[in-house]
Order: sequence, then C-alpha cells, then structure tokens
Amino acid sequence: MDPLRSYLGRLLLEEITPVVMVLTTPLAEAACKKSGLSFVDMLSPFSLFKKIDVPVRTASEVPYRLQMFKIRMVYASDVRKEDYEVADEKIKPVVSEADEKALPDLLSGPPQLEDVLGKPEAELCPLWIKKFNRELMRTLSFSEHETFDHPVACLLVVSSMDKEPISKFVDLFNTNQLPSLLNEGIMDPQILKHYLVLHDQQEGPQDIAVNVLAEMRSTLGSNDCKLLCINSSTEADGSNADNSWLPYKALGLNNHEGTCFLSMDDLNEVLQHLVYIMCVPFPLRFAGGTNAKEGKLCCSVIFLALDHYSSVLPLLIKDFMQDFASNHIIPYMEQKIRVLNQQVATTRKGFRNQIKNLWYTFTSIESQIRVLGDFAFMLRDYELALSNYRLLATDYKLDKAWKRFAGVQEMSGLCYSMLDQSRKDAEYCMENAFSTYLRIGSSGQRSATRCGLWWAEMLKTRGQYREASSVYFRISNEEPSLHSAVLLEQAASCYLLSSPPMLRKYGFHLILAGNSYYMSDQKKHAVRTYRNALFVYKQNPWSYINDHVHFNVGRWYGVLGILDVAIKHLLEVIACSHQSLSTQNMFLNDFFHYVQSMGKKFDVHKLQLPVFNMSSLRVVHEDHRTYASDADVDVSESTWQELEEELIPSSSVVRTNWLDTQPKSSLRKFKDSSVCVAGEAVKVNVELKNPLQIPVDVSGISLICQLSTNLDALSSDVSGLTLDGGKDQVNIEPSVSIFETNADNFIVSQLDIILRGGESKRVQLDVTPKVEGVLKLVGIRWTLSNSVVGYQYFEFDAQKKNKKGKKGRRRPFNNNLVVIKGLPKLSGSIEHMPTKAFAGDLQLLKLNLRNHSEFAVKGIKMKISNPRFLIPGDSSDIGLEFSHCLKKQKQSVVSSKSMKENFKGLLFVFPQDIEIQAGATLSWPIWFHAATPGNVSLYISLYYEMENSSDIKYRTLRMHYSVEVLPSLDISFAISMSSSRLQEYIVRMDVVNKTPSESFVLHQLSCVGSKWAISALTSCSSISSVETVSANQAVSCFFKIKDFEADSCKEAGSGSYRSDIALHPGTSGDVFDVARAPLADFHFQERYRQGKLAKGPCSLLDFVLISKAAGNSSKPSPDLQLLSHHTCHCSARNQSPVWWLMEGPRTITHDFSKSCCEVSIQLVIHNSAEHRSSVRVATFDAMPEKSQTVHPHDSTSVQGGWYDVSLENDIKTISSAKSTHHEKQYSKSISPYVWCSLSSAQIDLQPDSCSRVPLKVCIFAPGTYNFSNYELQWKVHPSKRAQVNEDVNGPSGGGPGHPFYVTVLQSV
Amino acid sequence: MASTACFVIVSKNDIPIYEAEVGSAPKKEDLAHQHQFILHAALDVVQDLAWTTNAMFLRSVDRFSDLVVSVYDSVVHTRFMLLHDSRSDDGIKSFFQEVHELYIKIFLNPLYLPGSRITSSHFDTKVRALARKYL
Repeated sequence: MDPLRSYLGRLLLEEITPVVMVLTTPLAEAACKKSGLSFVDMLSPFSLFKKIDVPVRTASEVPYRLQMFKIRMVYASDVRKEDYEVADEKIKPVVSEADEKALPDLLSGPPQLEDVLGKPEAELCPLWIKKFNRELMRTLSFSEHETFDHPVACLLVVSSMDKEPISKFVDLFNTNQLPSLLNEGIMDPQILKHYLVLHDQQEGPQDIAVNVLAEMRSTLGSNDCKLLCINSSTEADGSNADNSWLPYKALGLNNHEGTCFLSMDDLNEVLQHLVYIMCVPFPLRFAGGTNAKEGKLCCSVIFLALDHYSSVLPLLIKDFMQDFASNHIIPYMEQKIRVLNQQVATTRKGFRNQIKNLWYTFTSIESQIRVLGDFAFMLRDYELALSNYRLLATDYKLDKAWKRFAGVQEMSGLCYSMLDQSRKDAEYCMENAFSTYLRIGSSGQRSATRCGLWWAEMLKTRGQYREASSVYFRISNEEPSLHSAVLLEQAASCYLLSSPPMLRKYGFHLILAGNSYYMSDQKKHAVRTYRNALFVYKQNPWSYINDHVHFNVGRWYGVLGILDVAIKHLLEVIACSHQSLSTQNMFLNDFFHYVQSMGKKFDVHKLQLPVFNMSSLRVVHEDHRTYASDADVDVSESTWQELEEELIPSSSVVRTNWLDTQPKSSLRKFKDSSVCVAGEAVKVNVELKNPLQIPVDVSGISLICQLSTNLDALSSDVSGLTLDGGKDQVNIEPSVSIFETNADNFIVSQLDIILRGGESKRVQLDVTPKVEGVLKLVGIRWTLSNSVVGYQYFEFDAQKKNKKGKKGRRRPFNNNLVVIKGLPKLSGSIEHMPTKAFAGDLQLLKLNLRNHSEFAVKGIKMKISNPRFLIPGDSSDIGLEFSHCLKKQKQSVVSSKSMKENFKGLLFVFPQDIEIQAGATLSWPIWFHAATPGNVSLYISLYYEMENSSDIKYRTLRMHYSVEVLPSLDISFAISMSSSRLQEYIVRMDVVNKTPSESFVLHQLSCVGSKWAISALTSCSSISSVETVSANQAVSCFFKIKDFEADSCKEAGSGSYRSDIALHPGTSGDVFDVARAPLADFHFQERYRQGKLAKGPCSLLDFVLISKAAGNSSKPSPDLQLLSHHTCHCSARNQSPVWWLMEGPRTITHDFSKSCCEVSIQLVIHNSAEHRSSVRVATFDAMPEKSQTVHPHDSTSVQGGWYDVSLENDIKTISSAKSTHHEKQYSKSISPYVWCSLSSAQIDLQPDSCSRVPLKVCIFAPGTYNFSNYELQWKVHPSKRAQVNEDVNGPSGGGPGHPFYVTVLQSV
Repeated sequence: MASTACFVIVSKNDIPIYEAEVGSAPKKEDLAHQHQFILHAALDVVQDLAWTTNAMFLRSVDRFSDLVVSVYDSVVHTRFMLLHDSRSDDGIKSFFQEVHELYIKIFLNPLYLPGSRITSSHFDTKVRALARKYL
C-alpha cells in the first residue's frame, strides 16, 4: 500500500502542512460573522486540495508533481504555545460529546463475539477517537523544538468598508501585535505576505472594493493582492438567517476537521458547498452528526439543496485558495528550500559546528536545517527531509539537546515510514524518540504521547496491531486518566484486530479503559467499554473477574438510572461465595439499593440467592401408601415393599383385554403419573443453601402449582407435559404471575426462614389440592429480603429422569399428580417410643392410631420388621400397670399361646371386630425390648381397608423408628457338669456392667422351660451381696441347676425346685414370669436369633436374667426400668456327647458263708448329642495293668477284697469289715470280683436320651470294691444328610469305667 | 520471597483449577480481580507461544506494569501461571518443576478427574511451602 494513501499518510498530510497566519480587521471579521462563521472557518474547507497537481522542484533538479495539498489557516492570535491544562480542557468535550451518543447503545444488549469480530476497523475505532487523537497531538502545536508549525505565509484581510485600507494592512502586520514566538526569534518573521480585501455585497456595490484593490495593487504589489466578495445573495434576511445558520455552523465546524474520514471522496467538495449554503438563507435545518452515517445523510440533503441554489461564491473562494496555494505558498516554499539547502550545504561542508548551542533561534544553523527538513517534508520530498533530519540528529545528540533530538528522530521515523523503505529504521527511530522524550521528564511527556500515536499509526498501517496496542498501552501510562482511557480503548481494539484476535487482551484493556473512564467521570463511556468486554467474560470461570465486571457494569448502569439492566448484572454477583464478607455485603447492599429504587417487587428467574439444590428435590405424595412422619419417606421403597409382602393383597389385577371394565381405564391413563388424594398435602422437600457469609432473609417460600380440574382435557395432555411440553411451557411463560390465579383449587404453604451465613436447610413445602384433577408442580417461588421475588421452575426431561432413576431415587420425579377423591387416612405413632435405650430394656408402649376422615376403617393388620424389638401386645394388656403385669400370678392363665398364633410370621392381625370409627383413636399396647446393642431401624407397616373405596381399596401406614441401643449388662454363663450327679450342673454367671454410670440391680435369674430347676449353692446362699452391679463392675455368681424332668425321681419337682431364683433378697415373692407374654415371646425371638449363631451341637438350656436399673444415687428412679437379658443355648463346657454313671447300692450286707454275693448295678448312659449314637460296653475280669499300678504299695498287705481307698468325693467308707482269707488265693492279676451277667453290650441311643444297662457282679468276700473294670466306647452317627455333605464320621470316643465303690459287709 | 505472587493452574479449557495468592504482601481483596485479569489476558500470549517452543518453562510471557507473568506448560496444556514481581528466574523454574511433580501425583490419582478443580489441601500446603522456598 502506498504510504501516502494510508491513514498515516492522510494524517501527516493534514497535520504537518504549511501554516498560514491570518490577520483580519474587525470589520472584515464582522462581514463574515453575518453568515455565522469566522473568516478562517469560512476558508478552511477550501484549504484542502485533493488534486492540486502542481509541479514541484526542491533541491534536486528533477521536478515532481504534488497532488494533494493542504494549508492550515490559523489566526495570528492562535500562533502560540498553549497551556497543557487549557489544551486538555479542549479535548474533554470531544470525549463527553461521544458520551451523549453512547446512551442509546447502552440500552441494547451487549455485543457478542460474532458482532465484534465482524466489525470493520472504522467502527472499532470510531471517528471521535480519531478526532481525540488529533486534538491530543494538537496540544503540542507551536512547540519550540519543532518548526513545521512555523507560519509559512501571512494572510492579511481588510474589509472594503475599512477606512484607509492600505494603512490597515500595515497596522495589521505591526510587529508589536505579532505572536510572541515570532518576536522572540523562535520563528522567522520574514514570511510571505498576502493581502485580501473582503467585500460584503449587502453593504454596498462592488465598485468600492475594486477601487480598494486597485489602490492596494499599486502600493503592495500587484501579485499579492486579492478581492473576495461575500454575502451575494439578495434574498438574505439577516435576523432569520442568523438562527438558521446555527446548526450548519455546528456541522461545519465539526466536519471540516474530520473530512478525510468520511467515506465519500467528494465529501470535501460537499462541505465547500456547505459553506455556501450557510451564506444563503436556507429553510432546511438539520442537526449535524459526527459519525459517517449521519454525515452521509447530510450530504444527500446538501446535494438536494444545491439543485435549488447555485451561486458563484464557493467557486470564488475556491479559486482564491487554489491560487494562493499553488501560485504563492508552494513556490515560496520551493524557493526557501533551495536557498536553505544551499546554505546548509556550504555551512556543513565548511566546518562542523563545534560550538554548543544552548539557545536555538531561527538563525542558528540547526534551526535552519530543521526548517529545511520540515519544508521538504511538507512538500513530500522525504529523501531530502530525511537526510537533513539525520544530519540534525547527530548534532543535537552531541549537544545533548534531547528534546530536539527526539523531535528529529520522530520526524525521521515518519520519513522512513512514508518512504516505505526500512521498517527497522523507522521503528528504531520511533522507539528512540519515544524513549528520549520519556527520559527528559515531564516536559517530554506529551511529546512522547504524540510520538506514540504516530508510532502506533505507523504500526497499524503495516498491520502490526499487537505492537501498536502495546505502544498505546505505554503511552496511556503517561497520560491523565481520561486520555489514558481513550488510548487504552484503542489498545484494546488493536488486540481485536490482530490476527488471530486476542480476545482476552481485548477484554482486559477495555476493562482498564473503563476504569479510567470511570475515574475521569465518564460513566457512560465506562459502561460502554465494560459492556463491550462482556462477551469475553461470558460464563467465565475466573470468579473474581466475573464479579468485578458484572458488579461494576451493574453499579454504573444503576448510576445512569437504567435499573433493570443494573439489576440484571448485579444478579450475577450476589451469590459470590468466594468473596470476603465485606465484599458480599457491598454487592448485596448495592443490589437491594437498586431493587428498592425500582420501586416494585422484582421477579427474577433462577435467582441465585439462596441456592435451591434441585437435585435434592423430593416429592412426597401419599396414594395408598401413607407415612407416619416425613422422615419415613426417606426409607427406600424396597424396604417397605419387602415388609409389606404378606400384608397387602397381591398387586391389583392388570386387565388387558377388552372385557376390561370402563371405570378402571380412566385411572389407567394416569398410571405413569403419580396419584395423590384430595385434601391431603403433597410435600416437596428441597434443600436450600445460603452461599454467602451474610444472613439472608427468605420469606414466602412456596410452590408454584397448577391444578386442572378438567380430567378429560388433560388426560391427553399429561403425557405431553411430562416429556418436553413441560419445558416448553416454562420457556414460554417465564413470569410467575400467571400461576397465582387458581388458588381455590389448592392451598400452598408459605415458609419464612432466615438462613445464616453458609447455612444449608432442608425445607418442606406443601400443596394441598382441594378438588380432583391433575396437579402440576411447576416450580418454587420465594421472596428475598422482602424485595426480590425469585422463582425457579422444576426442570424435567426424559434423560434427566432416567438418570435420577439410576441413582436409585425412590420414585422418578414426576411433576404431574393425579388428584383423586378424598380417602380415609390413619395417622399413627408409638407413644414414648425411646430413641435411646439400654440393651435389655423392656417397656410397654402404646400404639395410637387416629382416623382423621369421616369414614371408618377396618381389617387392620400390622407387620413389624424386627420382632426382637417390638411385639404387639394383647388387648388385655392395656391399662395394666407395667412390670406388675409381668409378675407371676397365682392363677396361671396361659394365654401366651394365642399370641403366638396371632403373631405368626411377623404379621399381626388385629381382632376382626376392631374398626376405627371416624375421628376415633385406637390405642394398642406394644412391647418394646432392646435386644442387642447398636443402632436399630424398626419398620412398622399398618394395613387397613376402607369401606367406601372406589379407586383405592386399602392403604398402608408406614412408620419408621430408629433406636440407639446402648450396651448395659454383659452376661455370660459357664456350665460345668457335676461330677457326681448326672443331672446336676454348676453354673457360673458372669455379669459385667458396661455402662459408664448406670448401676443395675439384679432381680431374678430364670431358666426357661419347666424341666430345669435352679437353686443357689448352699455355700453362697447370701446372694444379697451381689444385688447391685455398679458401673464398670463385674460380678460372678454360682448356681446349681438340675434337670428334673429327665431324672427318675420326679417327686422332687413339685415344690422345692423352681425354675426361677430371686437374686434380690426382698423380692423372693414377686418374681417375673418368664413363661408368659411378652417375656416368653421375646425369649422365643431371642432363642431363634441366638440359635442361628450357636455353634455347639448340643444346647442345654436358656437363661433369662431380669434386672432393674438402680438409677444414679442422686435421682431415684420412680419409673421402674426393667431389663431382661436372654442367654440361650447354654451348654456345659468340654462335655463329651456321651456320658455315663454307675448306679447301684453303695453298701451291701451279705452272708458270705452261704453263697457268694451277687450285686445288681446299672450303668446309666446318656446321649446328649444331637444325633443317634451307638455305645458299646465291655466288662472284663482281668485287672487292667493300670489299676495294679495304682496301688502297688498296698498290694502285699491287702487282705481279701479290702482296698485302701483314699477317701474322695462323697463316699464314706465303712471300715469295720473283717478281712477274709479267700482273697489271698487269687493272684494279683485277677480281680476280686467277677462280672456275671454279660461281658459286652451294644446299645443304640437316640439323641438326648438315657439308657440303662443292667450289670451284675459276683463278689466272694466282704470288702470295698471298685467296679470300674469295664470299658465304654461310643460313636455318634450323624444324620445321613450330614454324612453325605461332610463326609466325616461323627465323633467317637471311649474310656475306662468311672470308679464306683461298693462296700460289702459280712452279715452277722 | 516475592511481595506479590499469584499462582494459578489453568486447565486446557482456560478454567482455573487451582488458585493461590502466595506473595508475602498482605492479601488485598481488590487486587484479587486484577491478578486474575492479568493472568487471564496473558493466556492469549501463552496460546501463541506454546506452539513455538518445546520447552515446558516458557519464562516470562507477559507483563503488566511491574508484574510479570511466568508460565510453565504442563501436561495436556495445563498451564501453571505465576504472576510475580521478583526476578529470580531460576527460583521460578524450580518452583514450577516441583509443582509439576505434585501436579503429576494429583493427575495420576484415579479419583481425580483431569480438568476438575484441585481441592486437595495437601497439594495446597505443599505449593505454599514451595512458594516460600523458591520465590
């Protein structure tokens, strides 16, 4: 691209051009004022020549043609260096004017990515910004270190009405009135002079002016004098015209500076005509605009106007200007260049200027070189200009005149750029100039800015947008906030234009610009820039950025009074959990402030405060399943279904053929949707969370519902609504207000809560439909701090539903509920159900059932999940005093059997005659026993039928309780067999109190079953010492138990033996009856449970220990707390399954003189194994080796059958027997007695049975004999099935006979 | 230790998955967003730069007044970005390398979903300790 045609080229052409200093007389100015313009304004539009086409010859011999040319017309009074403050004030309106126009844009939506990327550069960098840039550069006009602002020529203007015009010309160029810069020697006062007579045709005939001109020509020179006639139109009407010109004036003033930006090439011409239009009255009024669009509009209007009015005036001015430029200014400059060039060449060639100049005047060689360079630059001989600038640069560098050096570097950079030769050099020069300006401090700051602007333009021309934006950013740091804002905005647009577009940088720099705008009180610009950046940060996960952008945009919109947009943006930030408390407060306060300024309640869809956790949403509606409390709903449906398996009738018959009855089908339509009952609340549980640290007041939380009573119309609609229709509907109707209409059909609950910082709460919202129909749950509505109404719709789509289903939701969430006619409903609870109990705790509780409806219910059944803990009582139990009813009563009415029948398989059927009438309450006793420690969930399901049922025949009431059972007493039993008696056992009971503080009083120990008798050991009859077990204490007690059922001696069982033993001395009389309900029932359960765990093959007996809580010493326990501990399947330790005992007389008197003595004894063999076993008994006469060694010492001294027997056990030896000599005959190896009946026997023993083997012994001499000369071998035969499975033989064993001593005495 | 330092791990979708202000200067809330802005804008530069080099440590890629953004391009374009005002290049490199090892450990955790936020407090403590050591 030709650099001259680039924007930079145009810019240089218009900014670095010859200056014509204008001096006017007041009368001349007044003549111009009639058209509302100053003289300079009038001429300025004609000072740009697009095709001047003048041949130019500078230093070289080859001429070239200049096409475009511009001269700057400046009043002499303006030829001075302006104060920065004053200059900056001039810039401000440029920005604030654009500010006014930004407002309508702000009301529309923010731009999106596509919009922005598609924008042409001109729109990204609007006209006013370019204008701003020029204004910023112009603040440096007439700076002392540069010469391109030095006037090239001087135009002296005198009105034809002026008296003595010739002398006026002289007066005008009086040196005293000339600008100080000329007087001080910085500018060369010897400049081209041009004289002009201005004639107002309304003031008089043209002749006067012609005379004046003639006079001037004779005195001032014929070439330099001109005449210009204005206000030619005769139709002009002064007063009217004044008003009508005003708008054009504004237009003209604005546009003559920005002409080159307008898209149409011939706009310049248009503007030239525009001035003409201003000079004639013209009824059309139009407001001027600075942007291109409005400009075009103006043009068309102007062209229209030109058709009607034509005049020669514009042509006159144009001709004058053309002549002035081409015939005077350019030749003058050419000549000056040639002269200066000559001068410089000779000076430079001759010697190097070694003297350091501290003060450069126009006469100094450096200034002259500079003028030469600038003139060459203005005439576009960049080669010449560059060579001179480079010459200067070395000089200034040596002189350390840094500002001048920088200025020269800047110009060389521009030359390089315009020559389009070396980009590197151009860049180097600009960089050098820029940094040099910055180095010299504050005086060079603005220069640095200008240099930066040139530089950035240069980079932009070459497409180096990234570099350009960094230059803009660098200069923005040096400028006050307003300028910096505009510069940053340009930096941002450069990032967008770079390829690929750097959007994040774009956004960031816009934000920076916005901040600067805000600081310089340009709020609309601030909003505009932030708003433009919004798309970059849309859905940005960078939380702080998001908050900052939205908060500021919102706040500033609020300041501008655009409250709805403000609130929309503030809504984005109010749920900022990551911010600090103070920031959250600030956000929230601003938000509420603007909401209140709105003056009305504000509906916000998806308000983020508080956050409703929609995944926690749960709808609880009761069809045939009803719940005792809300917590029960959380129990999984499968648990309930499992429990209710036997309770409810098998699922309703599904009829699928055409014989189906009609009424059924109406309901079947809604099979997929859930059913609820009119008059019963549908509950929605949802969790809400306050993400902030500030407490939040949420009021009026309620459901948004719709109830359609027209069943038929909706029946088809239902399926549609559930799938995608529902979502559409929500989208179409985002307002909550429409849902408030049908309040007659249902009632919704309102909930007010205050959420503390960071708190989460689960709330329950109710809707109670009143009539039949289809209830649709639409969403939730709530009011935040009484000012903002938030609402959120439930979102359903098929996919989501499936997902939820997979997660194991109880029911797929369905927002459509079919409301059916009102049904009876029972509510129920167990009174005083403990939440904490000690293990073993036994309580009588009351189940209360209340019928709320006006119909009776019947056929009540109940199922309890864990009968170890809960057992329904008998109707007779009610009203009984607790613990007393458990006591053993004299009249033993055994009613427990009936209970077991009722309670078969966990199902409890209430007596058939029980009906709960409308409004009545039924109380039913229920026993509670804390069986094992731990957390236990108890499920109870109650089934009932109703009489008037239509759709639903029955309902169930589901109750759920959790009980925490704490360990209390830990009881273990150790049973060992009595070695002397077959049916007696010694029991050691170990009781450990595991509670930290409670003590328990042991009350009673019972053996379950009638065959056991328990008694204290005689030695420790004073059991009272262990009556109380304190915390963490352990106690052991010993008891004797006896199986008297198996015993032959039944007579003992009547009175003296009991299956219970009171451990508390005072309570021997009142013992609890473990054979009665509920203890027996609980025991039954315990036995069943513990039996599952029991390992041993043979179980002996069960114990029940009943104790009472003693309470702490401080508080007596008025409420008697009873604990029962059941230990089942106790068995003796280390017991072989088969054991035996010899029975027979211990002392026999016999007359051995007559015959030998025959003693009949019995071997009692008991099989306690669970299986059949076979036992073999073998007797042998020969003494086993062992028995010989037992008594080796006394074998010699032995007389007859006498043995020296150590006195053991309970055998009392009668010692007064005589010894006999018979015995001596036998050898030692032969036993003194002979088995006589049989030598061996094989017996089969059934499980848990006894068998007696009769034995006979023949004795020949008196004495004490030990009939242990037998052996017993047994083998357990496991059941056939077990044998197959385990492939092992049952245990077997055997052993020698136990000692059995019999004393035989000689009868006298 | 640098007076200002803000460390961010950015996933390949430009989502910050870990953020820590590790400078010794007291934390100012109004600076939090500024740091985010600078780091976010620097991503534009990183995106270009990442394809021009094989090195993981991209050194300082961007600056904003006296704050410098150093970047380490980790696995699957997860970027470690450090905004700092200190000049010790070696320290920053070591810091990045050690954090990289920590991140790899997080990354290999089967329960960690790549690209999700790093919530491990152990990681946080370690990173802060490394910052004290190297920056």
